[in-house]
Amino acid sequence: MMAEHKIIEYGTEMCPWCKRAKEFFEENKIKYKYIDVGKDREAAMKMIEKTGQRGVPVIEIDGEFIIGFNEKKIREKLGL
Amino acid sequence: MHDVIIIGGGPAGLTAGIYAIRRTLKTLIISEEFGGVPANVPFIENYPGFKEIDGMDLMKKMEEQTKSFGVEIVYGESAREIIEEKGKFIIKTEENEYEAKAVILAFGRSPRHLNVPGEDKFENKGISYCVNCDGPLFKDEVVCTVGGGNAALDAALVMSKIGKKVYLIHRRDEFRGFEAFVNKVKNKDNVEFVLNSVVKEFKGDKMLKSVIVENVKTKETRELEVAGAFIEIGSVVESDFVKELVKVNESRLIVVNKNCQTFYPDSDKVRPGIFAAGDVTDNPFKQIVVATGQGSIAALETYNYVQGREGELYADWGHKKEK
Repeated sequence: MMAEHKIIEYGTEMCPWCKRAKEFFEENKIKYKYIDVGKDREAAMKMIEKTGQRGVPVIEIDGEFIIGFNEKKIREKLGL
Repeated sequence: MHDVIIIGGGPAGLTAGIYAIRRTLKTLIISEEFGGVPANVPFIENYPGFKEIDGMDLMKKMEEQTKSFGVEIVYGESAREIIEEKGKFIIKTEENEYEAKAVILAFGRSPRHLNVPGEDKFENKGISYCVNCDGPLFKDEVVCTVGGGNAALDAALVMSKIGKKVYLIHRRDEFRGFEAFVNKVKNKDNVEFVLNSVVKEFKGDKMLKSVIVENVKTKETRELEVAGAFIEIGSVVESDFVKELVKVNESRLIVVNKNCQTFYPDSDKVRPGIFAAGDVTDNPFKQIVVATGQGSIAALETYNYVQGREGELYADWGHKKEK
């Protein structure tokens, strides 16, 4: 049984890699929160400030940020 | 050791994987990213069998089919060097080394960069190569687009709806893009055309703040304050790491014959053991269906090479491959 992680995906509507990240979490039955930073301006500014990046997707796992959809890094962090 | 290593996991590489493994070759695909160029295309209407399909979904189906036959795929690594040694090939990535009897080059195209100061520093800090992804992060801000083709015009159109103002920077005063598209952009009040102009530098601190452009006719420079820059100047085949091994043309495309065999540099002599397929080749038609076709040819020719024999006729249908 995998330990509970706090996962947030920051993405935008038309971004293919954001969609791929969502599907990854769903296929692996991993609980995550999705924030559309194209619509939620406040969340967008927070994401930019915290990561120093203006690009999506960004995956936050237990307070650490992974830039882009990097399946290898996500698996490492989650111990998959 | 693998029989064949395929570099690239787009349509050409995945198809080559299917054909290679169905010929019982031990096959590995190394791909920096998933799916290649089509993975970023929202809909595809010219791939037979699918009336309309999202590019990402099409590539997932291809990947699934390739994996179902047992092809190994390593993502997140890119080939940096290929060395031929005693009849085998060593493929070096940043992290690992792999060995194979044969190699199929199918690493496709990458977005072209301007190669000006500040471009690397501000990538993902204002500079983006994907307007559909990152555009919404620049709501009510001033941005620029760079380029004169359909992709650049589309970027300007998308950003005119999201941003406050868009500077469209293009090095000529004519556009490669469709005229109807150009007119659509011209009708936007918040798009300013900065024509006959090239980008000299991107400036900022932590984030992008401005872009320096030079008018190629008057040599005057202007500094435009922008929070975002969307670069759409086409794509390029990053073939430099193989140019000592195989023949590339003036556009850096890998020269192949009809059997997807490569040649020695500056020679018309076929280079045994290295094959190429898809957008990396000098085939002028950059289409998914062409890439998949070439992928199958490259794999079958690889099979001939590994078996040490020459061209035979094949049919790879009408029978089920045991898994």
